[in-house]
Amino acid sequence: MNLGARGQERLRLAVIYACCAIVLIWALAPIYWVLVSSVSTRQELYARPYKIWFPQNPTLESYRTIFTQGAKFRDGGFSPTADLMSSGLRNSVIISVASAGIVTLMATGAGYAFARMNFAGKNIIFLLIMLMLPLPIWVSLIALFFLMSQFKLIDTLLGLILIFVTLLLPLSVWMMTTFVRDIPSEIQDAARVDGADRWRLVFSIVLPLARPGMVAVFLVGMLTTWNNFLIPLIFSRTDDSQPLTIVLTLFIGQYEVAWEDMSAAAVVTMLPPFLMALFFQRYLVRGLTMGAVK
Amino acid sequence: MKRRITSSDSVYVIVVLTPIILLIALFIYYPALDTFGQSLTNRNLRIRRPPKPVGAANYIKLLEDEEFWEVTGRSFKVVIITLPLEMAVAFGIAMLLNQRFPGRGIMRTLTILPWMLPGVVNGFLWGWLLNGEYGALNGFLYQFGLISEYQYWLRAPESQIFWVTVVQTWTRYAFPTIILLAGLQSIPEDLFDAAKVDGASAFARVRRITFPLLLPSFGIALVVEFIAAFQIFDVVWTLTAGSSAGGSLNPFTKTLMLYNYELVFRDLRVGLGAALSYIILAMSLFVGMIFVWRVYNQGVQEA
Repeated sequence: MNLGARGQERLRLAVIYACCAIVLIWALAPIYWVLVSSVSTRQELYARPYKIWFPQNPTLESYRTIFTQGAKFRDGGFSPTADLMSSGLRNSVIISVASAGIVTLMATGAGYAFARMNFAGKNIIFLLIMLMLPLPIWVSLIALFFLMSQFKLIDTLLGLILIFVTLLLPLSVWMMTTFVRDIPSEIQDAARVDGADRWRLVFSIVLPLARPGMVAVFLVGMLTTWNNFLIPLIFSRTDDSQPLTIVLTLFIGQYEVAWEDMSAAAVVTMLPPFLMALFFQRYLVRGLTMGAVK
Repeated sequence: MKRRITSSDSVYVIVVLTPIILLIALFIYYPALDTFGQSLTNRNLRIRRPPKPVGAANYIKLLEDEEFWEVTGRSFKVVIITLPLEMAVAFGIAMLLNQRFPGRGIMRTLTILPWMLPGVVNGFLWGWLLNGEYGALNGFLYQFGLISEYQYWLRAPESQIFWVTVVQTWTRYAFPTIILLAGLQSIPEDLFDAAKVDGASAFARVRRITFPLLLPSFGIALVVEFIAAFQIFDVVWTLTAGSSAGGSLNPFTKTLMLYNYELVFRDLRVGLGAALSYIILAMSLFVGMIFVWRVYNQGVQEA
């Protein structure tokens, strides 16, 4: 059978788009389902057999419920609070923005030092920072828990921020070091000859050029902090510091199950990472693959 | 141009590096040493007594404990099922995204999405999807006549482990996809053209050209994904651990990280948990090195 060049190209695209459809179902179906669940009414969602793939009476009732009534269906043994969701949202925003912001500043300063300066102990310090990467976190976490108790930093936003900044350091320093190294050094050298000292050099010449790198470090830091569960699981106790990932697991009660409300809580928890992944993906991929992909 | 070390330079270095060194020393390396020290004691917060040094007793106790080997075996099982599943999915999608077609950019963006979401959310999403009473998978299969009644997908212990690996695959496949795609894009087109002229079939071209040249990419992806699957925690927690705070962990999906959490923060057996964390460190270093070594050797032999 001879299709001709145009026919062959059409056939090729048809096969490709069919494959794309399968991949998209695999990648997005669970996300679609939780979105549908969060705006469905109880009657529709609990229909058996389920056939309602597009909610007939979409409602935001579940979102209202989780923010006004809190975990009414939560497991026993806790004092249920109506504002668990809003405190979780507040804590997540504070922790992730503060951690990412602080680590971006620290990594930029250090990245310049590692990329452009010579000083005693440079290699060993860099190595000690990078050695954290393959270290399984539990080795440090156990004793860190007791250390944090001594400092009275358990269940505080400050404690969580300090831990996240530390955990983000290796990747962030590595990213900024490679980024500053890629900035052409001619301009800086010229400024040096003109007598600018390091601080002026960094602030007036390197910083503006390093902005895309800083944005990437900030976004990666924010995403990984927002998504983290283990650290607050160990170091948070109450709604003083519990972020949304923890709140979500508290909502998953065992006795009275309200899937539409839990779905709404899941959607709120994943919304910022979801949006970041849609709009800033190039920055995130660059950071999260540690330069394995440009 | 050789730069002079001026005093303003030293001030700069000290100011930017001191906080970093302090944080890492205080929050990572000192606790790591302290944890090791505690692994040599019988510290247990349930029992009111000052901890005594016990030498390697905790390590021996773990290595002689049946539950330890059961949990370790389960962790490796998760890794062994997840890695091929992930690589197969990633390779397929990378081949697809390597084609030229309108909409490839948006396709790439959407494909990578699950990787960026919180692990606890992913576990929840799938737990709800697989729910035996009202889950979407049941509804979907039933509607198309593929099942005659609703199934409890997460009931049998064996299927729980299987679904844990599926959800881990869903959470992580984007990373190997990106790595393999970058590898594919670095293979020169002329190689394929030459093979075509020589009459090699599409299958032979993938086997003889694509695969060997992708080995280094597979190597990176396997190492990273091994670590990720070996340290699986969040996904299990919301998918099958069945644990609201305070409840006991589901024994059928208890992997090493969950076991470590349970020992230290539920059972309060700090000494034993500290020893476990060092055994896990040893295992992940060991296995990580075997992976690197094997992949490297294969790459050298085939090239």
